[in-house]
Amino acid sequence: MQTPSSSAVAVGLVASRLLLATATSATDYLIHDHQLSSPLTSFRNLQEGIYLFNHGINPYSGGVFRHSPLYLSLFATVLPSSKTFASILWTFCDVVGAWALVKIWHARQNVSSTPRDGLIAASYLLNPYLVLPSLALSTSSLENTLTLLSVMFAAQGRASAALLLMAVQFHLSLSTLILIPPLLMLLISTPASSLALPKPFTGSTNRLPALIIEFTAYALGLTAASTLVCNGFSWVPQTWGATLTLPDLTPNPGLWWYFFTEMFDHFRDFFLMVFSVHLLIYVAPVCVKFQYDPLFATFVLAGVLGIFKAYPTLSDPGLFISMISLFPEIYPHLRHPLVTALLHLHAALLLPLFHQLWLMQGTGNANFFYASTLVFACGNGAALIDCVRAGLRLAIGKEVEGMVVIQE
Amino acid sequence: MRAIIFSICACLALASPEESAQEFFAGSSNHTNNWAVLISASKYWFNYRHMSNTLALYRTVKRLGIPDSNIIMMLADDAACNPRNRDAANVYPSPGGVDLYGDNIEVDYRGYEVTVENVIRLLTGRQDPSVPRSKRLLTDDRSNIFVYMTGHGGNEFLKFQDSEEISAHDVGDAFAQMWEKKRYHEIFFMIDTCQASSMYSQLHSPNIFATGSSQVGENSYSYHNDHTIGVSLIDRYTHYILGFLENVNKTSHATMQDFFDYYDTTAIGSHPGVRSDLFARPLNETLITDFFGGVAHVEVSNSDCTPVFGDVVEEEAPVRSKETMVVKAAPPSSPQPTTVDGKGIRAWGSFGLIGLILSWVAFRTSGS
Amino acid sequence: MDRLLAKFRAPKTGNPHLVRIQRRDKIIALVTARLRLIVALLFIAGYAWMLILPTIPTETTDKIDENALLPAQINTQWNWDEVHAADRYLDQLEHLRDTNASSAERALYLQTEFLKLGLDASTQSYTFSTVVGDSTGVNAYALLAAPRTPGAEAIIISASWQSRTGEGDGTLNLRGVATVLSMASFVRRYSHWAKDLVFVVSDGYLDGMQAWLSAYHGVSQPNLLADNLDIATSVVWVALNVDYPGHSFSHLGIFHEGLNGRLPNQDLLRSFRRISRQTGGSPVILYDHIDNRDNHKSLGMLGSMLPSWLQTPILSIPQVRKYIYHASNVLQHANYQARGIGSGTHALFHKYRIDAFTMYALPATGPHGFHTLGKVLESTLRTANNMLERLHASLFFYMLTSSDFSLKIGMFLPSVICVSVAMMFHGLGIWTSAGWTQIAATATELEKSKIVVARRIRPTLPVLAIMAMTHAVGAVLFYLVNTSAIATSSFRQVLVGLVIATLPMVLSANPKVASAQQDEDTQATVAVTLKALNICLASTVISILSVLNFSLAASLAVLLGVTLCIPIPSGSSAKWVAYVAYSALGLGWLAIPGEVERMVWGWQMLGVWTCPIVCMIYTPLVLQAVIVCKLT
Repeated sequence: MQTPSSSAVAVGLVASRLLLATATSATDYLIHDHQLSSPLTSFRNLQEGIYLFNHGINPYSGGVFRHSPLYLSLFATVLPSSKTFASILWTFCDVVGAWALVKIWHARQNVSSTPRDGLIAASYLLNPYLVLPSLALSTSSLENTLTLLSVMFAAQGRASAALLLMAVQFHLSLSTLILIPPLLMLLISTPASSLALPKPFTGSTNRLPALIIEFTAYALGLTAASTLVCNGFSWVPQTWGATLTLPDLTPNPGLWWYFFTEMFDHFRDFFLMVFSVHLLIYVAPVCVKFQYDPLFATFVLAGVLGIFKAYPTLSDPGLFISMISLFPEIYPHLRHPLVTALLHLHAALLLPLFHQLWLMQGTGNANFFYASTLVFACGNGAALIDCVRAGLRLAIGKEVEGMVVIQE
Repeated sequence: MRAIIFSICACLALASPEESAQEFFAGSSNHTNNWAVLISASKYWFNYRHMSNTLALYRTVKRLGIPDSNIIMMLADDAACNPRNRDAANVYPSPGGVDLYGDNIEVDYRGYEVTVENVIRLLTGRQDPSVPRSKRLLTDDRSNIFVYMTGHGGNEFLKFQDSEEISAHDVGDAFAQMWEKKRYHEIFFMIDTCQASSMYSQLHSPNIFATGSSQVGENSYSYHNDHTIGVSLIDRYTHYILGFLENVNKTSHATMQDFFDYYDTTAIGSHPGVRSDLFARPLNETLITDFFGGVAHVEVSNSDCTPVFGDVVEEEAPVRSKETMVVKAAPPSSPQPTTVDGKGIRAWGSFGLIGLILSWVAFRTSGS
Repeated sequence: MDRLLAKFRAPKTGNPHLVRIQRRDKIIALVTARLRLIVALLFIAGYAWMLILPTIPTETTDKIDENALLPAQINTQWNWDEVHAADRYLDQLEHLRDTNASSAERALYLQTEFLKLGLDASTQSYTFSTVVGDSTGVNAYALLAAPRTPGAEAIIISASWQSRTGEGDGTLNLRGVATVLSMASFVRRYSHWAKDLVFVVSDGYLDGMQAWLSAYHGVSQPNLLADNLDIATSVVWVALNVDYPGHSFSHLGIFHEGLNGRLPNQDLLRSFRRISRQTGGSPVILYDHIDNRDNHKSLGMLGSMLPSWLQTPILSIPQVRKYIYHASNVLQHANYQARGIGSGTHALFHKYRIDAFTMYALPATGPHGFHTLGKVLESTLRTANNMLERLHASLFFYMLTSSDFSLKIGMFLPSVICVSVAMMFHGLGIWTSAGWTQIAATATELEKSKIVVARRIRPTLPVLAIMAMTHAVGAVLFYLVNTSAIATSSFRQVLVGLVIATLPMVLSANPKVASAQQDEDTQATVAVTLKALNICLASTVISILSVLNFSLAASLAVLLGVTLCIPIPSGSSAKWVAYVAYSALGLGWLAIPGEVERMVWGWQMLGVWTCPIVCMIYTPLVLQAVIVCKLT
């Protein structure tokens, strides 16, 4: 699948990752970090929940455990929840994620191997926004892998697998729901790049109802499994509900937490609704505009999730950034890549710095960290807008002297 | 049901002993009992002076005859026993002055009990049945009440505990409810804080008059900084009016007008305000002792009915809520045992279910 | 203004898109055509701002933000009896000094004295090993538990055995230690302490307190071997460090800079200033800089830098004298903060979120002594004792221009940000222009006299690889200077510097890099791209550092700002001069005698970031400029 040299590089990368995760104390340093794991994805909360479950206490009766019951049924049965094993599992998942990314690239190019494979794998394995949460054992890394696998199966046209993984992902992280429409579109059309040649949607829409029913069936099956494992529906408000009602205001690199710490209680419900519905707004326009390239639409919506979802970690924007490597055709049309990169560099330095000033040194306050999350959101927003613009601009072709592209 | 009780009580209340008492007090304020609500809303050691303000007025009203049972004192902090207090268990209003804390004071609400909610519940009488008698304002329509508040305030608010505020509207509404529920005869409202006059601007019930230490937009100041204890001991306004009140005794005929005429803006450092438009009687006929003194000798007989009246109405609802609480408390225990039993089976069952779905998908994928 | 708006306003007729695009192009052209001017103005504004920092109208340090502190509101009880006790302690300490008592003997004496007072007391011995030398010693400490509370917080009163005078050159702080002992016997008599009081007499200058604090907070340090503490109490909020090296003192000086540029809460310093003036009657100065504005003969280093014939006319202007006085304070502050080592024993506390400063009794013939110092210390203790919560977060970012005046963050931060933004604009300008090439107009198009521009690609990946390489070289350099072979030998340091200075030549000789230079019409040169990214990275580093350690960021802005941005001269000999100059700028610190040793000591002993920042960020940034110079 890969050229020998790039596979050697990949093996080297994986080995060094494994070494970093198991032989050093990096995990211990990072596991508490608010930027790498949110209350919904923290490994320590997962361990707590499993411990409670194993001791016969409903883990959802408290306010700590907000992971999906699917994690419970896996970690309470076949998977040990020790840190060393988790390090290996997480590294393995990252490798699978990188492999899936390469496979998506292959499906898009409709070839079985390209010289860019190594670069694409490296963009996933070396992306610091993905490496650090993975070292911190944030379950958001696993969710990224699932998303990529699901997209990979969809790109390869294997509907059942893609839908099942999407259903799992829907259970693990409710916001991923917005990726389903482009994914369905991808299933019934092709992943090939047609950014340069926009055309009306050509997929076989008559397959759609069956796919939706299949997805619903999987989701219901998993719901049944979840309900079985916790003997009731107590998990629903604690997992899906948490995404919608934001009960835990632990700081994270996203935009929600600060807003809702400042919120008056009687506006809270209204703004929770606004914030949640806001995510859905993007789905239809993006899917309509990029109907000729659903993979690109998926990519754009992943970017939206990275900026606006309820409990993001660094790995959510990280997924978007790594996926940029799938679309080399838009690079020449990016308008300000250096500015975006510098914004990200600033944000990546400011986030931990202000986090430290606020929570460790006590010389700053929450506004400092919030300001840095705003810079981070600006960086992500700039990247997303630039990518969307380049994706649209591509269709117009080479710029003619004296002519300017305008947008209506 | 309530209406019936109400009317019976009202009939009884209008019966003869009341009338004879009225005759006895002809030309006076017509009240039969005196109450005082004294609130220090600030915590922290550096707000020592607010506790001392309140304690000083406590001492005054007690000296003039209001018994402890009729004084509700709220102290948000305990300056006397603060470890920083060099003279432990003492609170002085001035260096070398009399110890206000003494050995005979009764603090009814202290520390974190001093909240806006508790103040409003106290005034309006909407309290839980479990609240003891000492924490209730058991007034009726023949009660004269002296309400004193001190703390850090601003335009139309007074801070409580550094975490919440009572607003002028809250006070006005609480007094209005008291009037509707016939919980007072007359109220004298006094407040010592910054922009104190704003706090009585929203009063709108009859028979209330009010005074505050400063005008809107004006600060009230502290008096002594004591270099031994290291904090200010009392506020200027309260310190100054104590000079007047110390010369009043139980038989004094000093009137409220005399009291307000005593105000000296240069000595107080701010311009105290007076509001008497809601008050029916002229201030120069209103005795100081109508509010600061106690009506010690006269008690309305037939006590079966009148004092109980407030409680009967109150008690019905809470009992019901108690029952619902019991009902509510039951369910959490029931799912617990089942959770213990089948967790392994359930976990494996759910895992099997996921496996089943997975293998189904795998089968489908490989088949197609 | 109207005219300006009219320039951008759309005419009423015509294609709205055309109008919009024209307007956009006009604005962009307006900025890009004047980019050099804007950059130059920003640089000038930034540097000028730094120069006028000492004269900016400042806020006075009178106001105390925290209500609970109540400074200078007590009558102190410290009196001549306590002074007498301090004198007796001093006699015995001098005896110990004269008999050359060992660390252990001194600590034992101190422990005994503390025990005699009825306090819990103990000693702690420690050994540090660094590549530039080891240090051992024994600390003594004692605890007075808060009499009437559980003591959830504590205050430390400390004195190091060696004074900060000469930064640990051996001047002893005997009177400081005597003050601590006497204060311990004094505070025992009172019951109004709401916090535990911990008395620490640390050995050495900084090493003893570092060992003690590490043990207190359970922090392990691989090169430190220290006893665990027998007595430990709660979380420490405030530490007061006493330094009294002379016989008497005239002023009390504030030293407040901590490790890595951290500062204590300003409310504490303001309270101390008020207490010292009102309760102690002693004037307060910043550092050991006496405000000698009446006497221009002693205006310090800055005054004496002027030629002698100019001194009298210029220094007779009061504004100049004020400027010089404030500027010397700011420079001293920048020196302590940028070097990261702090200005005294108090520096070690800040890391553990303890607000601390040193009250330095400036040696003089009088008029103050134990009596004043004790009163001030007692009153400051009472103020710290009044604290109910930690001091407010808004008072950690400031710059004192004298003990009476301070600058808020908004008044000094923009100076560095201006320079950083200028660099960023300049870097982006280079980057943008590197993406275009001018193709000479052909003869047939002469009548149009139009220059045809075409896009070209920029070699981003190779440039990023080069930048990564320089930082890797920096990491190697960091490793090397931390080995004993190099840290202790200045000859080897210079050698390492010379070797690193030749690396850009090796790189440019690499055929791959040389081939990347070809064909400027389709691809921008590596040199131009590297320069653009180098300047952008330097700008980022400076602006990020400015919130963490302003003085360090300002130093970088001064050292790198214009230097990285000026164009490389075209002549080959001039290029060599530039090469050498850049190398000297980036690696010159290796040749300063003792500097490497100090930095390595700071890093290994105290965890000061100066060494890693210089090795792994500063030097690589300049190395990139050297490479640009070589490749141009």
